[in-house]
Amino acid sequence: MTVQAFSDEWAAQFKDEVNKSAAYKAAGKGWKWTVGLVVEAEPDKHFPESRGLVMDLFDGDARDIRVGSAGDAQKCDFVITAPYTRWKQVATKELDATKGMLQGKLKLKGDLPTIVRYTKASQELTECTTRVPTQWPDEQ
Amino acid sequence: MLGGLIEANVQANASKHKDFDALTARVGIWVTDIDEGVTLVFESGRLTVYNGLEPRRTITIRAEAETVMSLSNLKIGVMGMPVYYDGVGRGVALKLLQGKLKIDGMMTNVATLNRVTRIFSVQ
Repeated sequence: MTVQAFSDEWAAQFKDEVNKSAAYKAAGKGWKWTVGLVVEAEPDKHFPESRGLVMDLFDGDARDIRVGSAGDAQKCDFVITAPYTRWKQVATKELDATKGMLQGKLKLKGDLPTIVRYTKASQELTECTTRVPTQWPDEQ
Repeated sequence: MLGGLIEANVQANASKHKDFDALTARVGIWVTDIDEGVTLVFESGRLTVYNGLEPRRTITIRAEAETVMSLSNLKIGVMGMPVYYDGVGRGVALKLLQGKLKIDGMMTNVATLNRVTRIFSVQ
């Protein structure tokens, strides 16, 4: 079922995909921090308000993934911030998340050595977003 | 991001700090699949990061983003030597053999390269 990008339903499907992923289970072993994704508003793309995705990831499992405010996401141990269009590029595999971070297109806050240790896990998380059939607000 | 990574590593680890204080080198890192890079200028405890490749580099590393991340995941073994026999190390060595990882100045600056690798490693 196609779901609206960054909605509660999208978060639920994303969580299911993460928990179905054997690759993430292996790569995320030992991870014990929360991750917040801040999706910045782009009113001209029909994404009028910033949103946050709060991910409670633990030892290769997604314990909870929910949509909240940008402020909720900013309270996480690791915070990755980008405008709506960039996140869409990531979720549609137009932009590799690692390259995006190296280029500063995705802004990362948190302990860099830790996140670099889990590069494979973050790549697999990105893969999981691509498996969620998504309706993009700017395409409606 | 690479500058931030080195800063965090050096602050968190005394042996990396020692390497950082001892290192004087100009290290270029060119990420081939995004066509962007930086020059890291180490001057005995000081690091300046320039966008792009600056002249007079001691070492220049050219690789795809994923390989650059693998370099920072190399484990450091006995005598402070990078470990090339585990999964990550073998992957890096293979890229070197395949020409997908190029390190200009490697042969004449092995000690500097090892020191840079130690500072860069998050393991």
